[in-house]
Amino acid sequence: MIPCSIGDQTLSHRSSRLRRVLPTVLACLPLLWPAAAEAARIQDVVEAGVLEQAWRFLSLRDPSVRLALAGCVLLGLCCGLLGTFIVVRQYALVGDTLAHAVLPGIALGYVWTLSKSPLHLFVGAVLAGLLGTVVVSLIRDTTRLKRDTALGVVLGGFYGVGILLVTLIQRLPGDKSGVKSFLFGSAAALSESDVLLIAGVAAVSLLLLGLLFPHFRVASFDPTFATSIGIPAQAMHYLLMLLLAWAVVSALQAVGVVMVSALLVIPAATAWLLTDRLHVMAALAMGIGMAAGAAGAFLSALKTGLPTGPFVVLSAAALFSAAFFFAPRKGLVSRVLSKSRQSRRIRRENTLKAIYHLLEEGGFADETVTRQALVERRRRPVAEVDREIAALVAHGLAEPVSADGRVRLTPPGRARAAEIVRNHRLWELFLTHAADIAPDHVHDDAEKIEHVLGEDIVRKLERALDQPTEDPHGKHIPLAQTHP
Amino acid sequence: MSDPLPALEVHDLTVAYHKKPVLWGIDFQVPAGKLVGVVGPNGAGKSTLIKAAMGLLPLSSGWVQAFGAPLRDQRHRVGYVPQREEIDWDFPVNVMDVVLMGRYGKLGWLKRPGRRDREIARACLEKVRMLPYADRQISNLSGGQQQRVFLARALAQESDLYFMDEPFAGVDAATEEAIIGLLRELCREGRTVLVVHHDLASVPDYFDWLVLLNLRLVGCGPTTEMFTPAMLSKTYGGQLTVMTEVAQALAKNEALARETRH
Amino acid sequence: MSELIPPFDWVTFLTEPWSAWYRDTTVRIVAMAFCVSAACGLTGVYLILRRLALMGDAISHSVLPGIALAALLSGTLTGPPILLGAIGAGLLTTWLIDAIHRHSRVKPDAATGIVFSALFALGVAMVTQYGGDLHLDAECVLFGNLAEVATQPGIPPALIQAAAVLVATALLIGAFYKELLVGAFDPTLASSMGIPARWVHHGLMAWLSVVVVTAFEAVGSIIVVAMLIIPGATALLLTDRLWKALLLTVLHAALSSVLGFHLGLWLDGNLPAAMVVAGLALFVLAWLASPTQGLLGRWMARWRLREELERGRAGR
Repeated sequence: MIPCSIGDQTLSHRSSRLRRVLPTVLACLPLLWPAAAEAARIQDVVEAGVLEQAWRFLSLRDPSVRLALAGCVLLGLCCGLLGTFIVVRQYALVGDTLAHAVLPGIALGYVWTLSKSPLHLFVGAVLAGLLGTVVVSLIRDTTRLKRDTALGVVLGGFYGVGILLVTLIQRLPGDKSGVKSFLFGSAAALSESDVLLIAGVAAVSLLLLGLLFPHFRVASFDPTFATSIGIPAQAMHYLLMLLLAWAVVSALQAVGVVMVSALLVIPAATAWLLTDRLHVMAALAMGIGMAAGAAGAFLSALKTGLPTGPFVVLSAAALFSAAFFFAPRKGLVSRVLSKSRQSRRIRRENTLKAIYHLLEEGGFADETVTRQALVERRRRPVAEVDREIAALVAHGLAEPVSADGRVRLTPPGRARAAEIVRNHRLWELFLTHAADIAPDHVHDDAEKIEHVLGEDIVRKLERALDQPTEDPHGKHIPLAQTHP
Repeated sequence: MSDPLPALEVHDLTVAYHKKPVLWGIDFQVPAGKLVGVVGPNGAGKSTLIKAAMGLLPLSSGWVQAFGAPLRDQRHRVGYVPQREEIDWDFPVNVMDVVLMGRYGKLGWLKRPGRRDREIARACLEKVRMLPYADRQISNLSGGQQQRVFLARALAQESDLYFMDEPFAGVDAATEEAIIGLLRELCREGRTVLVVHHDLASVPDYFDWLVLLNLRLVGCGPTTEMFTPAMLSKTYGGQLTVMTEVAQALAKNEALARETRH
Repeated sequence: MSELIPPFDWVTFLTEPWSAWYRDTTVRIVAMAFCVSAACGLTGVYLILRRLALMGDAISHSVLPGIALAALLSGTLTGPPILLGAIGAGLLTTWLIDAIHRHSRVKPDAATGIVFSALFALGVAMVTQYGGDLHLDAECVLFGNLAEVATQPGIPPALIQAAAVLVATALLIGAFYKELLVGAFDPTLASSMGIPARWVHHGLMAWLSVVVVTAFEAVGSIIVVAMLIIPGATALLLTDRLWKALLLTVLHAALSSVLGFHLGLWLDGNLPAAMVVAGLALFVLAWLASPTQGLLGRWMARWRLREELERGRAGR
């Protein structure tokens, strides 16, 4: 089910794709520079009204706002991209586990220098994350425990170790203000170096995944095949895990441990609802991630002390719901609409069929049928039959002959009616002859199948049945497109 | 002992998986006391047929009766042997636990298996010559031994109608011999056994009744009448790609697919 | 580093807590931890066997908005309203996950990730916005507040609830032992016997919500995941019979509660986290020394094989 098509397996797309994506990153980078000036933190500002805060955010005049926004947007981009591979490989729980498993590494990285030095936190977290990944595969390989249990053990266990260390650190001297915000995130507290870290990770991810996109695609879709053609699927898996660990770590300050996995999964899953192609999905996921990041940063800036992580996740979830309900073709709403369209078509076709049967009973001597005859035939109330006739007229399949409800089929109506009846009788004949199903069982099936048979299937049926002219009940099978 | 009513009667059974019909209008009866082979090519719907017959899948149309009553009321008279791949062999149970599960259907809620149930379980294990292994964890058994354990569980169910999904898959020749001997014995006692079977060569030796299946029923009757080149080529002859295509077309239509599911 | 790990003192950290002066506090905390951890562990065994460890993670997060809503409406943090809120949120989670992956191409794991993180985010947003009035804050969600049972006069209601949930868990498992066993081992056989698989699943999820919400206040919402999975995983490394695994799970819960208590006391850190660390240590121990799946046994066997091969080569 991984979106993949043979058409663009070519490597030549790679550079052009990169050229398309790179400007986005570059466009975001200038946001960082003005931040070098003395950055006032959002929460330093006196309590202000929601509207005022909103304006402060939207005007971008405050450097810390620019930092927060840039951080969240870049993070959304990076997580959306990596999340694409997480989602298609069904690794959602892996992302979640990794996000929790880095916590002890962060705590130890902090203990290392007794400061929030991003580099040390980063190294500690990446090591802890990779250790977690290795432990998961080790548990799976050496015990009877299944993957989900192994992930659960590492997620819960590492997180417990991390929390214990964090509470120990709380007793230490030094600047530890940020340690707790690693849990839920606070974009307002993003420093310039945090944002640079995020930008760096995003750039490296974009570069690597952009350059190796075809390889990652084949390695995600079919690792065995990838290995057989010389692509090191195992190594690429660990490369992806490494990038993931980086992304998780860089995301901690902005959205927190708990919410990173959501940022990985939700934008990519949303994108998957909108497209069938992996590269389009990656691009969409990046866009959705950026939108969710911006929205989350904005919402959490509205009131002092709100954590950013939950609002980024809620924004992403809102986008997912929108896609789930309103996606073109795949969305729930469009499917309900298409279903009701199809049922209306089926009703029309059933009316056409009823008219045809009436005409057939009269030996096609009369070209018209009365409303009363149709009401008896369809066993429906008069009002409903009137509606059905009106629908046929509206679609140009029938035309009223007189005011008392007598109607005649137009040429397209006649052709379609003959088609439906032919489909029904052909299918009955096929079931009884080729499939040896008792003649009294075939009618109900045919009632449904008459509406879905396409021309090519009909040709095959006719060939299989040797151009039949009579159905199992001895009735004539009309030819398509012509009036008998 | 033998029941005058048919052990199993399937009438106009249509089953859809993920909106796509996989069995069309199946009609057949199996008399009691027969060893029945369910035979057909890959993807013919053999497993689907026995699952649907046991009432485990929603039916698009038709009904199933066992011994003249709806299957829902006859659950305690039906036994089951699953396909080997469907089982998690690392599960923390030993051989005895598995065989005792066969008794659960007779116990009802809140009751524990008692001494009589244990005796029955031991007797069933003895029948398949697995009693010495009663305390083994199930992953420490060979494929053939695992299959015998599940046969013992089925015996412990003391049912009148058994459904077995490929009991001979991945089994050594000696076990196959032993299993078929036991199945014959069951049938002599008047029980009915439906076996999904793959190996055409052994069909005439094993079964006295056949259900030939390929998306629809090709034939059902005594092996002597059914195991003919004409019937087999009809079963395995393909040329029903049209049915698959129609099933796909039907699955795509939201309005109709919904109807077929219920 | 030395500031991080205080010097170890046998008397202060091991014997003194059990002396007459502190015994009451110690017993309360350890009893609370044991009840929570054992109830979680017992439920977790069935999650592991049904490959639903992910659901444990999901529901432990997603009950938060249910709790927050129920607390806002009822104004209390214990009792039936909270349990109902949690059960509602738990069942909503299972239903949403099911709906998403049935009506779209999103796979169950991603659907789970989406649903629980969105609900958890909603819960955190509610807690940070309104939690101040309810003694429900982000800190509690993350770290829990196990020591609170020690400060309340009389027998704390939280302890009573936890004990009741543990007893009820044990009774439910006793009553439905065979249905749960056959339902996890061979769902097809279970359905053919007329055991309603859907209801067993929903019942398990509802009970999981009850267990999680009981543990929630004491240990926080993420530590719960560890308490759900680690005891059962440890037990399943050591035995291949279900009832033995259940007993070992309870033993694991008891040991990790006591050991974790002393560890937390010594390091002066978060007690639930210390209990998880103790539990993880027991898991690692079991993993090394398990008679059938242990790493040590594996290494020994490999070493012996190599020895033999070399001896064979030398002999030739």
